[in-house]
Amino acid sequence: MTSPLRFQIKQTSTKASGARESARCGTFTLSQSTTAGTDQQHVKRTIETPGCLMYSQKGAVPHLTPDNLRQQSFGGVNISLEQILQTDQPGSFSKWPETSPIPRFKGYKFTLSEYLRLQDLITFCDLRDYSYAAETFRHPTVPPAKKLASNTDYHAVLSTPKGIRQLTLDDYLKTVRHYRPDVVVALADTIAETTTPNEKRIRKSLERSLKWLDQILLERVGQDGTIADRRLEEEKKRRRERKEKKRNTVTAAKTAGEGQQDQEQDQGTEIPKEMDEEIYIEPIPTEPWTDVGLFAAVGGAHLEESRIWSAQETAKKEGVDGFVIDTLSLSALGKDARLKHVQTSLDHLPSDKPRLLYGLHAPEDVLEAVAMGIDLFDTSYPFQLTEDGKASLYYYGPRPAGQDKSNSKTLRSINLWDDEHGDKFVPILEGCGCYACKDNKHTRAYINHLLKTHEMLATVLLMGHNMYQYSQFFTLVRESIQDGTLQEKSTAFLATFGKEPVRTLEKHPNQIIVEAALQKRNQRLEGAEEGVVGAIDMGASTVNTPSLGAAVGVSAEDVEMEDANKSKKRHETEEAGEDGGAKDEVVEKKVKKTAAAESSSPL
Amino acid sequence: MKSALKWDVIAKCGTTKARAAVLTLPHGPVNAPVFMPVGTQGTLKGITPEQIEGLGCQIMLNNTYHLGLRPGQELLDTCGGAHVFQGWNRNLLTDSGGFQMVSLLKLAEITEKGVQFESPHDGSLMLLTPEHSMSLQNSIGADIMMQLDDVVSSLTTGPRVEEAMWRSIRWLDRCIKAHKKPESQNLFAIIQGGLDPAMRKQCIEEMVKRDTPGYAIGGLSGGEEKDKFWRVVSQCTDLMPREKPIYCMGVGYAEDLVVCVALGVDMFDCVFPTRTARFGNALTATGTLSLRQAKYKDDFRPIEEGCDCIACKSYTRAYLYTIVTKETVGCHLISIHNTAYQLRLMRQVRESIIEDRFPQFIHKFFKDLFVEKSAYPEWAVNALKSVNVDLIQGEEQP
Repeated sequence: MTSPLRFQIKQTSTKASGARESARCGTFTLSQSTTAGTDQQHVKRTIETPGCLMYSQKGAVPHLTPDNLRQQSFGGVNISLEQILQTDQPGSFSKWPETSPIPRFKGYKFTLSEYLRLQDLITFCDLRDYSYAAETFRHPTVPPAKKLASNTDYHAVLSTPKGIRQLTLDDYLKTVRHYRPDVVVALADTIAETTTPNEKRIRKSLERSLKWLDQILLERVGQDGTIADRRLEEEKKRRRERKEKKRNTVTAAKTAGEGQQDQEQDQGTEIPKEMDEEIYIEPIPTEPWTDVGLFAAVGGAHLEESRIWSAQETAKKEGVDGFVIDTLSLSALGKDARLKHVQTSLDHLPSDKPRLLYGLHAPEDVLEAVAMGIDLFDTSYPFQLTEDGKASLYYYGPRPAGQDKSNSKTLRSINLWDDEHGDKFVPILEGCGCYACKDNKHTRAYINHLLKTHEMLATVLLMGHNMYQYSQFFTLVRESIQDGTLQEKSTAFLATFGKEPVRTLEKHPNQIIVEAALQKRNQRLEGAEEGVVGAIDMGASTVNTPSLGAAVGVSAEDVEMEDANKSKKRHETEEAGEDGGAKDEVVEKKVKKTAAAESSSPL
Repeated sequence: MKSALKWDVIAKCGTTKARAAVLTLPHGPVNAPVFMPVGTQGTLKGITPEQIEGLGCQIMLNNTYHLGLRPGQELLDTCGGAHVFQGWNRNLLTDSGGFQMVSLLKLAEITEKGVQFESPHDGSLMLLTPEHSMSLQNSIGADIMMQLDDVVSSLTTGPRVEEAMWRSIRWLDRCIKAHKKPESQNLFAIIQGGLDPAMRKQCIEEMVKRDTPGYAIGGLSGGEEKDKFWRVVSQCTDLMPREKPIYCMGVGYAEDLVVCVALGVDMFDCVFPTRTARFGNALTATGTLSLRQAKYKDDFRPIEEGCDCIACKSYTRAYLYTIVTKETVGCHLISIHNTAYQLRLMRQVRESIIEDRFPQFIHKFFKDLFVEKSAYPEWAVNALKSVNVDLIQGEEQP
């Protein structure tokens, strides 16, 4: 089977004496730049490796609208099923249109790419949001990585925005068939428990993952991968039926007055002959999906033997296009230990296929991983910085021209919440080509102001900058592999910038102040509500009082406008539209409750 | 008074009081009638300046009171004004801080001197006098500045209304005196007088004597009955100088815009489109879509057919349903769409005036939005009738 993906290694770095360097530069592309099932072609970007997929939430790269997104030069997006699969899917896929309803994409098959408007980017679909794999990182609205229900022989557990979902192989296959991502990661039992797994658990996870992988590989080429499962189900079903029948016969006998002894005897002697019969299950021909690339997860937790076995067994499978090296099960270990285990896996994987790694994404960690031969990462690091109000200042290799003033102290980042930036009318980083810094358009002072006034443009600008800097970093890393300076520049990087401080979830003191003030303002407003509304009694008019605070993007200014709206009434409601204003109010109040609930537990 | 603008009327509607014009300001031309989105704190809700320009916006609002608090006058002076501060090279209009008098009433103390505010953020006191407002607005550097007026809620009755009207005139004089940059910033007077025609007339007579570059109709959009609202607007546009732009503050909803244009208004502002966007509500020509509602889960159409904003060019309602109010991107997309909607509406209005088919446009607009004539708001029907457009009996001409 020819793979839809093409991974070409352009160059491996020269090993310095004694160094175990297997860094390589490559390109990761789709061998045919077509959208499945049509004659129409989208030209897909190429991912230069070592490179990144863009981290996404609910199918969108955080803070970046489609136009701003395309100012970035990453060639692909990482989408996790747990973030995007709706509760009623795969069932409700039947409601999806065949082709795109967006006029300028008329005729294009409506797959995941079209649905998310990512047609020019490589869509990489994994099961879970692995930003968990990084130390303390998590999205504020997702609950902490507590122990989920365990994976079983029949399903893997996803943590969706609406709660826990047990994803069966069947649902997984239906979803892949419908979504048609460019690459999908095979359903696997990834150990996500917070306690260190024991050997039995590890072995089980590898057995399950490999079994599912085999089934997926069969299904992918149009064969029946679930036939063994169905046979097992059928056996179980018949056994259950026999038991039922027996129970009924026994009960009937009982009521007919026979003694208990006889019953037991009956049970003992009546071993049904059917048990020995071979159950025939009709194989179901399935629709192949060879246009979708397949990556396999390689695990084994912290046990060397298990890691080796997992890598070797997975490597044997034909049809696997690349590997995801699991580190989620290693969350309890320090970075060096984790890297050691990653190395173990890599030692037993073929070098001609790409390898992806989550969770080790600070620049110095990337350098170590790249040196070992990792090809793909994701952009949760720049996202993480953005959420903290930080902007990257690090550089790789010689200091770029013009940056001395911006970064005389060789800081790896600055926090725009800090008061010191409040009057700095300079860009985050002089000479940076991102849309925040370019032409000195947006200054540190402005971003500081945006953060303090709780305005969303802050994260838009920071995200643009941090993503841009990350991609610049990767470009320079690739160049250093090609010209043999990887090792020396990596050493220099560590010496200049040190290690990324461990991320705590503590907010910046200024952020705490701003949010407390907002909270107080909300409360003050809500308390006054009855009084104000009572004073203005105009009969049947509706008052537009949207809920506050917890809804995304509500700023202090919004809250203030509330006072104005209490006296502002619409005598013509939005009856001509889809809703009446009153309904809006009810729904908006629900939004507030929902948003509040979201922050403390899954919906 | 010195003026830093040019007002060129390029077409007049043959039926209503509407006109199409070009308002040339220091940071470029503005096509009127115009809707001005509101970027209160020096930003338009997560939309970048490039994106705002891309929507065809030529002028937007900043708020003097808020910018005066944060980042503060000193910083604005240091960097050279709000245009530079927010990276916006087109026009800005600042209101004086007067509206906060109504919205923050519990925190404000009004005297002849000025308004003392207690900051909602940290309780600190700010005394906003006409002189201080002018000084702040000079530092902000907007192309159009508004006088500090004594605003009362349109629901207020009694002597307070007249007091506010006279005080606004006195404050206008103080503003004119204190305004340091008439050659690059245009000061607009704001007509007060509540809902009382006599007072409005008096206010207009006095303020027109001061000969400011433009005039605004203030003190409305505070919850007064719409039927009273339009009559005040219409009276004002009859009496105000027609060779200058007329700005109706705080308006508004789509139908309000269309009717007020017919009544002779040229400029509008309202937080509504961007604010309602953040709660997941998308504005369309056929009504509002509350995209949080489960009914959009399987609706695979774009928000609005024919809209060329990035939201409608990229996504279906079904996908937007999953991200509005949850991801910032959802918020940005709807904000962009709603702003695009308002600006497109004004563009269409303007074109129809230039081609002298504004009445037909009005008919179609109301039909698309309200469908049944029985649903047309009575105040709108009355207002349009007063300018020779009969929504009920009249027919849309081909």
